[in-house]
Amino acid sequence: MITTTTTTTHWTDVFKTSAGAIYQCDTERCWYVDFGGKVAKFDYRCLLKLRKSVYHIDIEQALLNTTKDPDVEIIFICACDHCYVLSLLQIIALKELLEGTFVMLELNHILHERLCSIAS
Amino acid sequence: MKDLLRIKSLISTEIEGLLNQQVKKEALSSSIYLSMASWCNRNGYDFSSDYFFKQAEEERHHQLKFYKYILDMGGNAISPEVTGIKQEYNSFREVFEEALDQEISVTQSIKNIYARCMKEQDFVTMEFLNWFLKEQREEEYKARRALELFEVIGEEGTGRWQIDKHVGQIKYDSEA
Ligand SMILES: [Fe+2]
Ligand SMILES: [Fe+2]
Repeated sequence: MITTTTTTTHWTDVFKTSAGAIYQCDTERCWYVDFGGKVAKFDYRCLLKLRKSVYHIDIEQALLNTTKDPDVEIIFICACDHCYVLSLLQIIALKELLEGTFVMLELNHILHERLCSIAS
Repeated sequence: MKDLLRIKSLISTEIEGLLNQQVKKEALSSSIYLSMASWCNRNGYDFSSDYFFKQAEEERHHQLKFYKYILDMGGNAISPEVTGIKQEYNSFREVFEEALDQEISVTQSIKNIYARCMKEQDFVTMEFLNWFLKEQREEEYKARRALELFEVIGEEGTGRWQIDKHVGQIKYDSEA
């Protein structure tokens, strides 16, 4: 008899914008970032590093920059497999996506805490 | 949806940030005391020099305590950069005045972390900080006592020599 096991990994929407989306996978304990034409997997450490490097970019400074350098930023994260090469507009969009995601994760954390305190 | 943030770390990002700031502050204290030890030694205040060497070591110990706590809780401990340490002092008294200033600012920043913990109901970190609150009682007492010696002994004549001798004997042994 042939048994086929289908592992359905369930992704939960964390946050979505018109530019992209971030999903959480509980079984793998990670997040999938759908942005800039690819879906990339991030664990906890890497997601925090991504947030840090995106928040770190001085968008205002880049906008005021009148040199002829191309307006692209390369986001490379140590020990992560992914790298992004993004325009300024994309960086703003990614920042918005990450900000929303972390608000939702915070909210989820608060809900879990409240539920725990009610349950006990 | 699982609470993955909580699974990975006991402390929040905000608390982690504040604790890392404190790591840096303790490292700064340690370097300041080391510089004071050098100045006192160069100017003939050997007891005070020893006193500051000991203080420098204590601050390093505090730094590591915070550092390891961050790591144990699942956070990212950041090894701090310490620059701009003052190497020269205008007077023997100035050294002790600045030592007290430094301790007061450390107490203040620990109180700030504590306040944030209360807001987040982070009782675990509050309990961890209790040790430091008690430690600051001792640290401020000693720094204040040293300055007091300048008042009661006076700097005239062999005053500074006497003050130096007594700095080496400062102790805090309150049972409270
Ligand atoms: Fe300290
Ligand atoms: Fe201290």
